[in-house]
Amino acid sequence: MDILFLLVPVSVLLALAVMGVLAWAVASGQFEDMESEGQRILEVEVSTSADAAVPGTGGESKA
Amino acid sequence: MAAAPLDAPAAASGNRFTVFDDPEEWAVFSQPCSQPCSQTTLAGAGTGGLWESQVLVQGMHCAACALTLERTLLAVTGVVTARVSVAGQRASVIWSADLTRPSKWMAAPQAAGYVLLPAPDAFTPQEGRREARLALWRWLVAGFCMMQVMMYAFPAYITRPGDISPDIQSLLRWASWVLTLPVVLFSCGPFFQNALRDLRQRRIGMDLPVALGIAITFMVSTAATFEPQGWWGQEVYFDSLAMFVFFLLTGRWLEQGLRQRTAGALGSLMQRLPDSVERQSASGTFERVAARRLVPGDLIRVLPGEAFPADGQIVEGETLADEALLTGESRPVPRAAGASVMAGSHNLSAPVQVRVQCTGRATRYAQIVALMEQASLDKPRLALLADRIARPFLWFVLVAASGAAAFWWQTDPSRALMAAVAVLVVTCPCALSLATPTAMLTSAGWLARRGVLVRRLQALESLAHIDTVVFDKTGTLTEARMALASVTLRSGVTRADVLQRVSGLAAHSLHPVSRALVRAAAGDGLSPSWAAPEFTDVLEIPGSGIQGQQAAPSVARSGGLLRLGSARFCGVEQPPHGSTAGMAADGKETPETVMQVYLADDSGWLARFDLEERIRAGGPAAVVALRAAGVAVQMLSGDRLASARRVAGRLGITQVQGDCTPQDKLAHLQALQNKGHRVLMVGDGLNDGPVLARADVSVAIGDAAPLAQAHSDFVMPGGQLGMLPALLLQARRTMRVVRQNLWWAAGYNAVCVPLALTGTLPAWLAGLGMALSSLLVLGNAARLARAPRGL
Repeated sequence: MDILFLLVPVSVLLALAVMGVLAWAVASGQFEDMESEGQRILEVEVSTSADAAVPGTGGESKA
Repeated sequence: MAAAPLDAPAAASGNRFTVFDDPEEWAVFSQPCSQPCSQTTLAGAGTGGLWESQVLVQGMHCAACALTLERTLLAVTGVVTARVSVAGQRASVIWSADLTRPSKWMAAPQAAGYVLLPAPDAFTPQEGRREARLALWRWLVAGFCMMQVMMYAFPAYITRPGDISPDIQSLLRWASWVLTLPVVLFSCGPFFQNALRDLRQRRIGMDLPVALGIAITFMVSTAATFEPQGWWGQEVYFDSLAMFVFFLLTGRWLEQGLRQRTAGALGSLMQRLPDSVERQSASGTFERVAARRLVPGDLIRVLPGEAFPADGQIVEGETLADEALLTGESRPVPRAAGASVMAGSHNLSAPVQVRVQCTGRATRYAQIVALMEQASLDKPRLALLADRIARPFLWFVLVAASGAAAFWWQTDPSRALMAAVAVLVVTCPCALSLATPTAMLTSAGWLARRGVLVRRLQALESLAHIDTVVFDKTGTLTEARMALASVTLRSGVTRADVLQRVSGLAAHSLHPVSRALVRAAAGDGLSPSWAAPEFTDVLEIPGSGIQGQQAAPSVARSGGLLRLGSARFCGVEQPPHGSTAGMAADGKETPETVMQVYLADDSGWLARFDLEERIRAGGPAAVVALRAAGVAVQMLSGDRLASARRVAGRLGITQVQGDCTPQDKLAHLQALQNKGHRVLMVGDGLNDGPVLARADVSVAIGDAAPLAQAHSDFVMPGGQLGMLPALLLQARRTMRVVRQNLWWAAGYNAVCVPLALTGTLPAWLAGLGMALSSLLVLGNAARLARAPRGL
């Protein structure tokens, strides 16, 4: 069971790394709006004249 | 398209928003777009810059509305990005100052039925957002560390003493300690802060035992990790600690989320456009300024559809004023040159010039507001039961903990500390502090989904005890607008023809009768935009009617003068009745008829329109249901006693009082309260404001003046009277659940505290018990989220 002396500290470091990732996720607003992503699938892609002028506006509007 | 702008409160659509075209005004709710927008290569974009504006949205019901709104906004030239959040009822719009102005993109969604208003707290959500993110991060850290620490602690639970070699054991403990550090130092931050704050104020709060328990547990466990031979003991409790913190944070986070959702929805309701009015400047031209800047002596021009921003005297022009908000009277009142107008009443028919006499606090509007604020301060407050009990209880907890520690110190020091911690943890008044708020918040959520917004959670408690309901009439039991009841026609004339012609003429007027007729025509499926004949030389005479020259010939008639108005205006001498020969009677006069108008042209009398005040759907059923729930129903009205009795008869209300001024209503309410009744007041208009504030519980129905909503406990913007009995029953259910929760909390504490005192309760069990107890309370409260049987 000596391997535990390596594995446990590594796991602690990993846990700290994961918490860093969580911090980034929260700070960059990943948890801001949880519902709209689920409704994205129901959205119908309609190209308006505004879309024609600026490419990618249809998807951009839900960014 | 004539129907849509007339119905909207900003009658001349887009007009009201021009006040935002001033860069200073739009800067209040916008900021220069700081983030690198990928759309900066918009064709024609200059150096005006991109601005990001935060607005509130009214009229959104679902996610599809968000898509519609976004599309509408993006269709406006110059709008780069539009992001709509249904949950927050907000939108964020990035637009170019070169290509467009706020008035354009704010007015665009009106046709689709959405109203955009500048978010008053456009920048303070930064604060709230940061706090929310911090809270979320704390919770995530606590949860994640809890899981890790439980994994490290697992071997200690399943092995027999001596199975694990000491160095592996201390390795695992060390790892637990490292991962508990973030929990204690970061996630528990709020608890320690609150506890310190309470200590500094020499007060005891809920967080003090929690903070103490966490601190002691951590210290004991740390000592056991690094100095197993020390007198602190051998046991470590990192897993209990992490779990316990996680559950606490979960409860608080849920509470915060629920509170945010109900409060946020209400925030948008209370927003209005800044009042702006055209004022004559020194050079004689009229410019639009904020109403706040008016001083007595200013000459202002008030357009039809706008509210009078100050008390004043009409200098030029004559019009009809709608003073329903102030007097409750639904008929418009004529105001000519020399007459005074009141702040808050609406100008209905024609532009007038007004010399300002009183502004701000001197206006009647402001006096009513002052009366309301005074009344709300005297409002009886029922203290929170848990609050009254919690304080002595917390003292008891601390005393018991130190007592246990002192007692066990002589025999077994380590046990002493853990007994103290067990007492602190197990009696954590979480169940007590969660019992009431959780139930109320869950109920608030349930009600919000059904169109009832709760402004004051404690009102649910008061509502469960009421025994009398007092309704206002106009706008509460009846719909605020007139509706077309029936049409009496001359023989040879069809209803469709008449409605089509009259809607074309009435579209030029903002009179409530005209609006009702236009709505009726639209309701019949006659679209005025393409089928209505054009009218020129439209002249509206206040008090008489409106006339116009029909330009294009319609199907059966040639162009001519069409008149809509009173009998005398239309040249009708004998008001025709349904039984006269030669009449094609389409309907008969109903008891609710408030007004009769006639339509006539060159050939004579064409039709008579009977307009009525419609009672809101669900009214009679609601009254019956309220009586069945054991509540007496009364009605007070500022309108004439006769019309009040008519409406009361239809609804089955026997106790009616009419011709009430705001003071009369307040006096009646106080008399009821003095007799020991608990009163629920249901109203809408501004003159109900003081009464709403004074009643034990108040509900504001419909498109009430925002100020009345600000002082009522519940708001029903949808105006469904049928929800009132449901609201009452839900309040009673809530209080039942609260009482159950409190009993459970009391019983659980009564059992566990002695166990903890005697030291027979290990800390982990105490933590588990506390967590389970909280979950039970939460679960019981969650039952309120489901509709009860029979509803």
